[in-house]
Amino acid sequence: MKFSRRKFLKTSAMAGALAAPGIWIPKSRGAWGATLTEGKPIKVGVLFSLTGGLAVPEEDSTLVMQYAIDEINAAGGIAGSPIEPVIIDAKSDFSVYSEKARELILRDQVISIFGCYTSASRKAILPIVMQRDNLLFYPTCYEGAECTQNTVCTGPLANQHSKDLIPYMVENFGKRVFFVGSNYVWPKESNKNAKIWLENAGGELLGEEYIPLGDSEFGPVLNKIREAQPDFIFSTVVGASDIAFHRQFKQAGFDAEKMPIASLTTGEIETKAMGAEYGAGHFLSAPYFMALDNPTNEKFVDGFLSSPYGKNGVTHYNMSETYNSAYVFKAAMEKAIAEHGFEEVTPARVRDACAGVKLSADISPEGETWVDEDNFNTWLVPKIGICQSDGSFKIVKQADAHVAPDPYSIYPDIGTCKANGLVAPDGTVRTDVI
Amino acid sequence: MDISSIAFANSLILGLSIAGIFFVAALGLTIIYGTAGVINMAHGEFIMLGAYTVYALQTFMGVPYFLCIPVAFVVVGAIGFAIEKSLIRYLYNRPLDTLLATWGVSLVLIQGTRLIFGSDPKYVQIPQFLSSNIEVGGLSLGVFRVFIIFMALVLAAGVWLIFYKTDFGIKIRAVTQNREIAASFGINSGQVYSFTFALGAGLAGVAGALFGALNIVLPTMGMGYVVEAFLTVVTGGGALLGSAIASLAIGELQSFFALITNSTFAKFLIFVLIVVFLRFRPQGLISASGKRR
Amino acid sequence: MTHNAYHNKTLQWLFYIAVLAVLGAVPLISNDAFLLNQLAIYGVYGMLAVSISLCWGSGGILNMGQGIAFGLGAYCMAMTMQMQTQADGTIPPFMLNNGLDSLPLLWQPFQNTSTGIFLALFVPTVFYLIFGGIMFTARVSGPFFAIMTLATLSAFATIFVDLQPYTNGVNGISPPSSLKLGQTEIDPYSSGAYWFVFALLAACTVAAKLINQSRFGLIVRALKDDPERVRFLGYNVAIYETLVYTLSGLIAAIAGSCFAVLTQYVSPAQFEVGFSISIVIWVALGGRNSLIWAMFGAFTVQGAQSYVGDQFLSTWILILGFSFILVVRFLPGGLAGLVETLLGRTTKLKMEAEHANLEFSDGKEVLK
Repeated sequence: MKFSRRKFLKTSAMAGALAAPGIWIPKSRGAWGATLTEGKPIKVGVLFSLTGGLAVPEEDSTLVMQYAIDEINAAGGIAGSPIEPVIIDAKSDFSVYSEKARELILRDQVISIFGCYTSASRKAILPIVMQRDNLLFYPTCYEGAECTQNTVCTGPLANQHSKDLIPYMVENFGKRVFFVGSNYVWPKESNKNAKIWLENAGGELLGEEYIPLGDSEFGPVLNKIREAQPDFIFSTVVGASDIAFHRQFKQAGFDAEKMPIASLTTGEIETKAMGAEYGAGHFLSAPYFMALDNPTNEKFVDGFLSSPYGKNGVTHYNMSETYNSAYVFKAAMEKAIAEHGFEEVTPARVRDACAGVKLSADISPEGETWVDEDNFNTWLVPKIGICQSDGSFKIVKQADAHVAPDPYSIYPDIGTCKANGLVAPDGTVRTDVI
Repeated sequence: MDISSIAFANSLILGLSIAGIFFVAALGLTIIYGTAGVINMAHGEFIMLGAYTVYALQTFMGVPYFLCIPVAFVVVGAIGFAIEKSLIRYLYNRPLDTLLATWGVSLVLIQGTRLIFGSDPKYVQIPQFLSSNIEVGGLSLGVFRVFIIFMALVLAAGVWLIFYKTDFGIKIRAVTQNREIAASFGINSGQVYSFTFALGAGLAGVAGALFGALNIVLPTMGMGYVVEAFLTVVTGGGALLGSAIASLAIGELQSFFALITNSTFAKFLIFVLIVVFLRFRPQGLISASGKRR
Repeated sequence: MTHNAYHNKTLQWLFYIAVLAVLGAVPLISNDAFLLNQLAIYGVYGMLAVSISLCWGSGGILNMGQGIAFGLGAYCMAMTMQMQTQADGTIPPFMLNNGLDSLPLLWQPFQNTSTGIFLALFVPTVFYLIFGGIMFTARVSGPFFAIMTLATLSAFATIFVDLQPYTNGVNGISPPSSLKLGQTEIDPYSSGAYWFVFALLAACTVAAKLINQSRFGLIVRALKDDPERVRFLGYNVAIYETLVYTLSGLIAAIAGSCFAVLTQYVSPAQFEVGFSISIVIWVALGGRNSLIWAMFGAFTVQGAQSYVGDQFLSTWILILGFSFILVVRFLPGGLAGLVETLLGRTTKLKMEAEHANLEFSDGKEVLK
């Protein structure tokens, strides 16, 4: 009888708890808990990995973010208030991203988070960002097919990234191409877009291979490439694997002059990490290169490298996207403050104010860019560069006009991403689509 | 799916090279595990230290690559010796605890390396002639991969010589078979274990010197090797020949599965096959010492 | 057997009740949403530690793949939560990008919340039952079993990455809203969610403790020390091993389900080797032979990770590594072993003063 009594007590306690709805909903639900005060610091979260496997690109993002914030604060901050970054090391661990995002939002009550590089970390933090209606500035390239009301992306979408690269490569090297990517969402989505450009350019896809993230054995893939004899390779391999791929490519006797790799990821930091001779002759499509010849970029490169944050000795596309995100934030904050007054600014209002924010060519090192009014991604100009023997890039082609971001370009049946949500062809609107 | 015979032959050759990589990665572990029964979770970090040794020698002293390999052996061997003397020797009768303690060692080694060299990636330079390809009638393999197979054979031969043709080897085998009786014959088993551990660590250092050229050199690079090395050793049973056969089987199968499916699924199949194999033969292919199962 | 307060059963229960009472009172003291959520997640880690202490500390089965049950439970729960947010007839957005146009069979049971929650516990438990049964009847034990769990865990990690249309690959599943039970939404930042997880933690701990003290637990502990002897006594060792392993799997599955509810996120990272090994490390630090100290081990390491880590970014891992080496080297019983020794010393002094009372404690054997 003892057990049944215990069971009874437990059940009735549970029922009691369920009947008191107050305990299931915390008081602060949904609202942003803090209020900004004029002249007081504006807290933002900076959430990248400084250690672990993702540190290679992400440490630079933290450094350039600190640089941009210093620069903004030195010039008077945002309407007189300095930006105060809360810098977090996410240790390349998705659970840490998720925990720290909750801490930034709930405890530090930041008005926005700048962070994440991989899609997996973004997906890990989006539930809390959306639930508390906070704002994530996601400063890198990504696959799209996502429509939240809480993200502003300053990097190229899959539909912008390879639009020029594929036709350029087909024209200069031939029609036969082999796709290699890391085994996750971004490479697969990028390849779907690339296939469209490839078809338009009259190219032929010989094969498509995906390698586990972080894996370093490219032997089987290189054998398949040798068998297929493509004219060039289109690569979306990321991180440490990318470096292994380029090294093993050359070691397997492939020649970049005859069969180059056209990549969406292999930038200045990667060529530095793999040894310049392994990168030489390969191509990259990105909106920014360290070698871009314009006065803003000159100022950015000189300023950054001579600052305390410039220890890694290069600037690359991811950094320019992060740097720009700080200025988009600044512009949007100023807009929101002008519109609502300091005390009334919330993350959601900052987000709304981001719509259409334009960074002029004397702020943005990659040239003028602006945030789309509907889907909050960025209009930008992808460029194509070839890696030189010293690891730097020479720009060989630049798009004539800005390319529009469209997160659902290849899924017209699903809908169009608008400011208020994903609008399906039949007119229904869905919010928080991740 | 139609696969040309050339593709199949190439996959066999590549399998040989993957087997070489597995074997070189697992060799040091085989010795440590086979002799002392120590499950050394810091093995991957010994590999990482080997790669960093080569990087440091090349960058700060301009030592040529081939000379770096023996130096990596000595440096990492010495580190292994120090770790054995200060920690592992207290844990020999607690095999599961060595597993945990060496996990702690691996954390310390990773973080120590990060503090000294920073967390940005490094690379190992190799001579120009290793960066090319041998091609015979459609069959091909990179010279560097041939070099790894060659090194695997050299190291295997070296270890075999040490174990079966030297006094030290006789002592090792005696201690492996029965520590107490060996001790009663005047063999200092503590010393044998120390040197065996150092030898195993040194071999991991050589593996690092080789892998540093294939892969990116990072403080965390060892993590990628340790699980696979373990599975090879356990599948092999802890003996030298067992590890060699296990590497060969895993390498060839991985290469073949990757040819007919994809690299991710190939890895999955390998894991499943290992579990199934060990279910029916828990002692592995060739058991180093009869008493463990 | 010495007379040690550590082994006094009544004192042990009092200690358990005191600890659980303190943990249960947290929401009465604080309503910091972040803290409640974070502590609830520590509670999940505590359950994992209890599950490992049960199968490793009591049964001597070192399981380096506890992420299997944890991950499977978390995936099933996340799938349930994802389906709750789907309007009728729609499928999760990631499937559309992966070329699926209708809900795959694998996902269909999760359309019903009760079935989904049931599966979150059932699937991992049955997997453990089958896997454990197969392994233990073949008399796989010790480090070999540990390696097998490691290999199986890696197999799960790879296949969940590769089956992208069904699992969303590396990105995992992040349900956009919290779990709803009937009309009640379990907001992961509420005191309700904290108490929910805490009640499960308390139930798992008490159940594990009762198991340890039962006849079943006695046999399990005996086979840890010498399985051959237990076999000769006529017990079917494999059945006992399988059962204790399966029970630990069930606790880990509960932990995994709670984790998905609290974080609204699950990915193949839950199957990572490093995570499963770190569970073993918490338990080793806290003391594998004591459920509650194993739980403290989880709280200590994870708490330090969250709070110490930020102050000394680069030295934290060094500290963790060294402290771990020191514990294994000098405190094989973990913190619990330290407490046991200290308590033993004080009681011994008292006993000497009382001229050695020869009454035997009715508590547990001194476990090694």
